[in-house]
Amino acid sequence: VTSPSINAIRDKVRAGEPLSLEDGVALYEHPNPLEVGALANEVRERLHGDRTFFNRNLHINATNVCEASCMFCSFARLQPGDPGAYTMSLEEAWGKLRARVDAGDPITEIHIVNGLHPGLAFDYYTDLLSGLKRIQPSIHLKAFTAVEIFYFAKKFGMPIADVLARLRAAGLDSLPGGGAEIFAARVRKKICDDKCTGDEWLEVHRVAHQMGLRSNCTMLYGHIETVEERVDHMLRLRALQDETGGFQTFIPLAFHPDNNALMKLPGPTGVEDLRTYAVARLVLNNIPHIKAYWIMLGVKTAQTALWFGADDLDGTVQEEKIYHMAGAETPQAMSPAEIVRLIRNAGRSPVERDTLYNVVAEGAALATERPFRRAVRRSLEVMS
Amino acid sequence: VSASGTEAASPDAAARDALAAQDLFELGRRAAAARDARWNRRGFFARRRAGEDEAIVRFSFRNGESDADRLARLAALAETTPAPAAIMPAPEGEPHGLDTLRLFALCRLSLPAVPHLIADVTRLGPRLAQMALGFGADELYAPIVGERALRLGDNAHNPALTRKEAAVLIRGAGLTACERLAGDTYEEVTT
Repeated sequence: VTSPSINAIRDKVRAGEPLSLEDGVALYEHPNPLEVGALANEVRERLHGDRTFFNRNLHINATNVCEASCMFCSFARLQPGDPGAYTMSLEEAWGKLRARVDAGDPITEIHIVNGLHPGLAFDYYTDLLSGLKRIQPSIHLKAFTAVEIFYFAKKFGMPIADVLARLRAAGLDSLPGGGAEIFAARVRKKICDDKCTGDEWLEVHRVAHQMGLRSNCTMLYGHIETVEERVDHMLRLRALQDETGGFQTFIPLAFHPDNNALMKLPGPTGVEDLRTYAVARLVLNNIPHIKAYWIMLGVKTAQTALWFGADDLDGTVQEEKIYHMAGAETPQAMSPAEIVRLIRNAGRSPVERDTLYNVVAEGAALATERPFRRAVRRSLEVMS
Repeated sequence: VSASGTEAASPDAAARDALAAQDLFELGRRAAAARDARWNRRGFFARRRAGEDEAIVRFSFRNGESDADRLARLAALAETTPAPAAIMPAPEGEPHGLDTLRLFALCRLSLPAVPHLIADVTRLGPRLAQMALGFGADELYAPIVGERALRLGDNAHNPALTRKEAAVLIRGAGLTACERLAGDTYEEVTT
């Protein structure tokens, strides 16, 4: 079979036709990444012009105790009491938000992702959410990956819809996209055999979308997966999006090899990062946003990705732990002014958004320029 | 294999204005084409001994400089006789991604008599240095070592590359990986 040419793919993209598995693979294998990037940029600019989104958010990883033993994970500890294991008390977790509120930081979102803790009651999670809402009723709680939701359903003997309904009643507003990894069974068997399957991950999001919740979706790339498996992953997301329309953003996550069982793998290169963003933008024609998660990509690559299909940089991110334990060398937070500067330096127009992409501030209303903080500058100097 | 190649004329003032007005992708395409006209889609790395760096002219740059300023400085450099054998952009402070890539393209297009445009892995990091290969650079600059420990602990920021790692980065940018040898000859890396 002859692989489709870039010209044929360009014609399909311009005609609004969905790309096939063969098209996606051909884009990965095209000898000139710039041509693929330019086509993705065409789509990005058609959808969003120069606008580039970010938000003000706080990450809470309430526990890293996790029953699963995913080979790519540097964050999890198998049991309470293991070196490095922690579980926040509810007061501790709520205190993270209180500190931001007391500091006058107008965050609009809390992103909550945890390990699969075998010893925590379901009330811990509902109390966590309701307590955060008590502190700041307007805060958007984007919490619990599909892997966690599926785990709750099994552990507490409830249908997925009931789990989501109870969490929603406690304050859940949307789901993050983590835990998707690569859907292909071959890969999951090798790297994350003891968590939900790809179909189960998709089912959680299907149910959430049917209940009116929005969610994000991700793909962990650059480990043992093939290019075909990456494109297949994207196509499965696109199929669910055709069905429900509930995904807001796709976030390609670059594998970080430090401190985990896959540390002998090299991890993706910069060109591979950019190409993955570009292919995602072209294949996922029905998902509105592509996010360059700067925490994982590094600031320089994330900024460059804004010309290779990405239109979102994630947020200010306070207290990120998961990828820093895997060797991410990025700062653990950037101020809104730093993000605005980064976007403007890329020749794009920054837009502060909330989780659902309502505009919070744009143009002159945005944060003014401030010099990079010393910690950020230091990490930029050593960042790969 | 001997390293020679074709040369185009350095851009005049009007051509410099036109360059400064071009978008990222057009600049990248033109710079890559200029590199390929000389090197036929080859990308290089080299094991340098002490003192061998002296043949490299470092071109310092800061974020926020205009293309016009940079092009004027590059035009002055293009007048140097004899032309440098290699030029290596050197960031002052933290380099930004897009700004750096644009500069690489401008260097390649403004310095047609300079054979090698080098991306410094030690200053740019392997990701950005590899991306620069798509914007006119033809060589990665890093200590080349026989073996490298895992990037953990004190070794986390070690920019050294093995021969295989250098070749993987170059091939990942769509180029044929070659090691530069003494006397400006080179050999293709096949492993």
